[in-house]
Amino acid sequence: MSVPGARNGKPLRFHWSLSQAGSRLRSSVRREDMPGLPDFGAQLDLCRRAEQSGIESLLMAIGFTRPDPLLLSLALGAETETIKFMVACRPGLLSPVAFVQQVNSASAVLPGRICLNMVMGHTPKELGYYGCFLPHDERFEQADEFLTVCRALWRGDGPVDFQGRHYRVAAARVGTPFVSPAEASPEIFVGGNSSQAADLAARHASCLWRFAEPPESLGPRIASVLAGGTEVGLIVSLLARPTREEALRGTEALLAAAGGEAREVHQRLRGATDSVAYASTYGLADGGGSSAWLTPCLWTGAVPSLGPPAIALVGSTEEIVETLLQYKAIGVSQFLFLGWLDLDEVTFFGREVLPRVRAEEGPCL
Amino acid sequence: MPLRFHWRLIQRGGAAAGRGERVAADAALPALDEQAEFCRAAEEHGIDSVLVDINAGKPDPMVFALPLARATRKLKFLVAHRPGLMSPALFVQQVNTFSALSGGRILLNVVAGHSPAEQRAYGDWLDHDERYRRMDEYLDVCRRFWGGSPVSFQGSYYRVEEGRLNTPFVSSESPAPEIFLGGSSPQAREVAVRHATCWMRFADAPETVARDLADGLPALPPSLTVGLRLSVMVRPTAAEAVSEARRLVEEAQASRRGEGEARFVRASDSLSMRSTLALAEEEWLTPYLWAGAVPFYGATALALVGTPEDVAASLLEYGRAGVSQFILSSWSRADEMVRFGREVLPLVRRAELGSTSLAGRSPGSRSGP
Repeated sequence: MSVPGARNGKPLRFHWSLSQAGSRLRSSVRREDMPGLPDFGAQLDLCRRAEQSGIESLLMAIGFTRPDPLLLSLALGAETETIKFMVACRPGLLSPVAFVQQVNSASAVLPGRICLNMVMGHTPKELGYYGCFLPHDERFEQADEFLTVCRALWRGDGPVDFQGRHYRVAAARVGTPFVSPAEASPEIFVGGNSSQAADLAARHASCLWRFAEPPESLGPRIASVLAGGTEVGLIVSLLARPTREEALRGTEALLAAAGGEAREVHQRLRGATDSVAYASTYGLADGGGSSAWLTPCLWTGAVPSLGPPAIALVGSTEEIVETLLQYKAIGVSQFLFLGWLDLDEVTFFGREVLPRVRAEEGPCL
Repeated sequence: MPLRFHWRLIQRGGAAAGRGERVAADAALPALDEQAEFCRAAEEHGIDSVLVDINAGKPDPMVFALPLARATRKLKFLVAHRPGLMSPALFVQQVNTFSALSGGRILLNVVAGHSPAEQRAYGDWLDHDERYRRMDEYLDVCRRFWGGSPVSFQGSYYRVEEGRLNTPFVSSESPAPEIFLGGSSPQAREVAVRHATCWMRFADAPETVARDLADGLPALPPSLTVGLRLSVMVRPTAAEAVSEARRLVEEAQASRRGEGEARFVRASDSLSMRSTLALAEEEWLTPYLWAGAVPFYGATALALVGTPEDVAASLLEYGRAGVSQFILSSWSRADEMVRFGREVLPLVRRAELGSTSLAGRSPGSRSGP
């Protein structure tokens, strides 16, 4: 195999979502019914397996259905060695100064193992639980102010004054520093498919997360972000098996397990979301049937039942390796995977997929 | 009910009476191992919870307490929190997550903040009275979440629509965390009456505390317990205790710390901080209650100083005055907590069982030296 561009640049970076550990099909049920006390043992198993499988960090998702991601990271981090935690944060929920204090405190407990995924929420109804009633675009404006204050604190060049529309602080300082052997501040990821998300990432983040779509359509959409020096990563489910036939059987098993009610759950969620990433990925799945295959390996068949993060790379080891490198060739440099059989999927990835990706990438400069 | 004893976590390693910048740096990045060791000692010595306090110079108390909870088995964590800096739903979610990861070992110490400058640094521009009105709403929302979903609320400071949180508060003892709330202003007391399980105040002579509990307004309902913030200095003889306490103050004077404290208190808009500093004009409020360290270490340094018997008798006297919980500090060294657990606590427990006459003994006639 030889994909043009595979040997360009830095090696691909791989992250994994913890969100389904211990409650595999949680996204097939009504959000009100999702378990709010996930199985800590199962989460720890996934952390350890991911750590052994070459995964750099675990995405710790945020939302009313889950425990607080920062505190959960601390508990999981205490029982693992090296894996990082990409802690999701919604800017409108707290003072940026209090947030920096919490993040820095967590970094003091887990030095070098905390990074951040800034997300702006996807359903106004849920944001109302938290007292946030801003429309989509204003949430991004608020996030811009939020990150401006946070990054000024992390720069550490004296007390921070800021006056904006959403935040106003005077002589702010945080005694506890960000602790990491390598960085002065946490690496920041921003999630979203909208132009506002791209702008926010360009201003404040090292990488923009987008939901997967075919390389041909993705390429032009990320060109300006890449040109501005911000990386682009893809959020996508992974269903890799030794052969394509086995992978296809995996998709059938997944749909059967998701059950019929799951579609209604997601019809409702689709009607309630104001996220561009969610809306566009639901849209990609509209064709159904054979048109669920956007490319030979990019499958949307589970999206109507399990939601936008279920857009999946499906195929044999060879096919998956080739697909990852095709994305790399258009400038994608990181992946955030979800696995529907987490432990098996991450193990297979670490044992079969990752070594071949590294071999194709060649010795890195 | 037996008296309950909590201890303030010293977040600066071993000796607190350090110097300037080093102390600040130690407080900002306390050694987790040492803190965990202190916590394990506290749980061995009958301490109910450790107070993890809050300010911009220290780690966030909720985040910092969690690894300590994971390193202990029964000790609880009295986590300080200032409403106004985050969404009440996010706060409840953090508290509930903490409870799930610790077996319910979280108590809350809700504080309004005492320094307008520090509040503004966090983006909070409300004045003292408004902070209490907002705290009232905040706790109202939090308690609704603990009471069940969905939560709808519309106030002057907060609005929630059909709020839900799937992670519940997890505890075998109660459906919601105990809430400790301090402050001497009528506003603070009002909020405590409405929302707290324990009203905390700085110490004073037992008869003054008793009078305040009986006559102060608004009246405290019987279901609201009373807690006292207090320091202790226990030594085998009263003379040793007094001399050790004095030595610490001299050390503080030498490092000019008192000047900083007095400036800090002048800048504070907390009524209890200012009134306790005024109290300190008098050095001995009772034969055992010493105010000598207050100008240097702040209001919580009002201290019971004496032998184990003296201190136990004083605590029991507060018990008779209506106090049932103590949030103790040792402004000097961590091993004061161990000494207290070994030498004072057994006397208190024995007296509570009625097996000694200590409970009936009135404090001696020693007047301030």
